[in-house]
Amino acid sequence: MSNPFCFKSELWVTKYTGRSAKNLSDFLEALRTIDQLSIFYHFYINIFNYHNLPTYYTNSFAFWFFKNGLVILAEKVSVIDPLDYYDLEDLRKILIKVVEQNLSLSMLQKELTPFYFITVEREIIDLGCEANNLEEFKEGIKKSSIHSIFYHFITARLNKKTIINDYSSWLHSIGEVKKAEKINRIHPFMMTLYDIKREIIKILGEE
Amino acid sequence: MRLEKYIPIVGEEIINEIVILAKRLKDIRVLHVNSTYKGGGVAEILRGLVPLMNELDVKTDWKVFEGDERFFNFTKKLHNMLHLPLEETITSEEFVYYLKVVYENLTKIDFSNYDVVIVHDPQPIGLVVNKERGQKWIWRCHIDTSTPTPTAWDFVRKFLGSYDAAIFHLPEFVYEKMDLPVYIIQPSIDPLHPKNVEIPDEEVKDTLIKFGVDPEIPIILQVSRFDRLKDPFGALEAFKMVRKNFKCQMVFVGGYAPDDPEGETVYKELLNLTAEEKDVFVLNLPPDSHREVNAFQRGATVVIQKSIREGFGLVVSEAMWKEKPVVGANVGGIRRQIVHGITGFLVESAEGAALRIKQLLSSDSLRKDMGYHAKERVKHRYLITRHLRDYLLIIHKILSAS
Repeated sequence: MSNPFCFKSELWVTKYTGRSAKNLSDFLEALRTIDQLSIFYHFYINIFNYHNLPTYYTNSFAFWFFKNGLVILAEKVSVIDPLDYYDLEDLRKILIKVVEQNLSLSMLQKELTPFYFITVEREIIDLGCEANNLEEFKEGIKKSSIHSIFYHFITARLNKKTIINDYSSWLHSIGEVKKAEKINRIHPFMMTLYDIKREIIKILGEE
Repeated sequence: MRLEKYIPIVGEEIINEIVILAKRLKDIRVLHVNSTYKGGGVAEILRGLVPLMNELDVKTDWKVFEGDERFFNFTKKLHNMLHLPLEETITSEEFVYYLKVVYENLTKIDFSNYDVVIVHDPQPIGLVVNKERGQKWIWRCHIDTSTPTPTAWDFVRKFLGSYDAAIFHLPEFVYEKMDLPVYIIQPSIDPLHPKNVEIPDEEVKDTLIKFGVDPEIPIILQVSRFDRLKDPFGALEAFKMVRKNFKCQMVFVGGYAPDDPEGETVYKELLNLTAEEKDVFVLNLPPDSHREVNAFQRGATVVIQKSIREGFGLVVSEAMWKEKPVVGANVGGIRRQIVHGITGFLVESAEGAALRIKQLLSSDSLRKDMGYHAKERVKHRYLITRHLRDYLLIIHKILSAS
């Protein structure tokens, strides 16, 4: 087969941007200018680092609002699906828009517990493993770490500027359209990467 | 290989990723410098990490900065001044003496063969005056410097300008005037350390009995050195509220250094206060009582960490690794380790601690669920394998940046 699937993985090391916000005014100001990967980090950390946050909010912005008693903002920001935006600038814009639409001027200066803007340095590593057919593909996924699942299922979309994940894209290329579409419909924010891995393996095993 | 022993714990795929990452650092030489081979969290972490880095062919050495009593009295003061805004100042004599000791160490440690030098904490920070062209120096700060005494910050700033990056446990520990790139690496526990390794149930039971604790009655445990900042008195107060409704025992396991008179005072005060209490045990154990501490953590029903102020408080992760729900004060690193309502509870008062302990004692299933999530969290966030990967990645990133 001329189009093998190459298994990769993604590792992160986190950096502090030096910016923190103690009220919504500072927070919005930082959102407008902060490094794109900081937006990326705070949207994806909960899924990347399984067990990073209470799972009832999907990202660290929403969790921060919740901790500060801003439950409506927490809910509104929680439903932003970052997978709808492969361009991080678009994700930044929608986040700012949602926050601005759901606050009043009186809330802007209210003192809150600090929010620390973190960013990441990403490293994509080649795992030295390839799949040339569906069986090898399934075996490769079984041996994949959750970081590898994260890369192929989540961030490869950002790198390749597409809303189709790597697995589905490759399955399409070998004519496994039904499996490709089923996998692309998995909603990562409602399950852990282990659940996602199990679900993908289950779909690949279906007749 | 020691690294292989972690496979049953974290999975082969995680170890493979570390091996692949380490190949990018082949032939790189790394030096860690701190101020002691024994005692303290830094030495414990280096004892675990350095051999693993060497196994991965990242040539790593660990050297200790030497100083006399006068020197360490000064650096202890510097440490306290970096930690909190104090009325003290640093004299020019102290500065001159600090530099003298730094230059003495420079004659003992050969830095020339290293690509990356990682300096732990403030004591050896001045060694950077010997930085060679092409080398990368990283300051690994293990303390909270968010509100330093200005003169102490001015002191470290004289040296920080020559560093390439800093590493802190948490962003909230970073002083706002820090102008180096700051990586965030949280500390870790070693699941193969005698303090954390699996031990037979019989040993757990025998250890409890040996110290007079009844293994059949629920145990509330606090493990910490005897120190007012660990608030053993608050933990005792919480226990007294709990035992009105629940038959249980309170066990304090700790110790104090021979040169720590305040530790001895706190220990004796706690001992006197509980002398008549048959269900309270205050155990002052030697510093190498790792298996005993392990047994107490495994034998506990609920673990509490009622600190008033805390650096990171890895003892919380140690208990979580043993599938124990932890009721912890909402301070420092404790609030990062415990996910409130999922792996344990964060509390603001002795009353809050009592409430949560009662809640946990009332429900086997809640303890079981929280214990499961607690162990999973530590597995993904606070094990030495994650720490090793973080170091490898930072070294790779810093060298690539050049």
